[in-house]
Amino acid sequence: MAGRDDVFDPIAVLQALGRHRVTYIVVGGLGRVIHGSDELTDGIDIVPSTGEENLRRLGLALDDLDARRSDGKRLALEQDLVRQPVLELRTDAGELKIVREPEGTRGYDDLRRAATREPLGHGVRPSVASLGDHARMLAALDREQDREPLYTLRHLIELERELTRGRSIER
Amino acid sequence: MRFTATPARIEPVTSGTLIREARLRAGLSQGELSERSGKDRAQIARWERDVVQPSFETLRDLVRACRFDLELALVPYEADRQQDTRLRKTLERSPQERVQAMLRARRR
Repeated sequence: MAGRDDVFDPIAVLQALGRHRVTYIVVGGLGRVIHGSDELTDGIDIVPSTGEENLRRLGLALDDLDARRSDGKRLALEQDLVRQPVLELRTDAGELKIVREPEGTRGYDDLRRAATREPLGHGVRPSVASLGDHARMLAALDREQDREPLYTLRHLIELERELTRGRSIER
Repeated sequence: MRFTATPARIEPVTSGTLIREARLRAGLSQGELSERSGKDRAQIARWERDVVQPSFETLRDLVRACRFDLELALVPYEADRQQDTRLRKTLERSPQERVQAMLRARRR
């Protein structure tokens, strides 16, 4: 099935990952949206645990999603992940990027400590990198295009703190 | 030597970004900063990730351990009110509603 460019169903991607019990953390645009950023995104970025068994499960989930490399080359998950920092895939449910070690982090084990489970409906509750880690990743990329989202993340961090302080005062 | 964050890149700044930038500019690992400052390495990592926030005095000690200093001044503050209002509304929604709203906006 050819993935149409306008298709984006993040829940379908996350459900496929959940069905095969893949361990991963959501990062990137969708992660920022889940935290409250008011941007639009066309795909989902994940940082998987790179254990052998988890990559096997991830491979099964990618089969379910009919995932193929955006550059048209044959997908060989484990080898591709070693060779490429970001593996860009097209799936029936939209774009999926698999990132081994996002800039400014040391990968899954680093991000999972501050990640939180966020309920997205349909039984989907992915681990999402923290606001602080999202800001750290964008700052490390140091790209002009990320200035606005980074500013928004910093603003969200301040608002979250303000709300948390408010809640503790109310108690 | 004074330490000034680069506002265009990391505005608005957090204590975590200040500590991290000072440490990286000084060419120190978190372990080395821990030795210099006498603070726990794991705690430094938490501060850098903005998981928890150090006191102002601790922040200054850490930056000084990197051979920098904080240059502070009180200036009038004007919030980005439009964005502030927008983000406050978004935060009232659940994560599920935020994703649904984004997908709806994307289809428009």
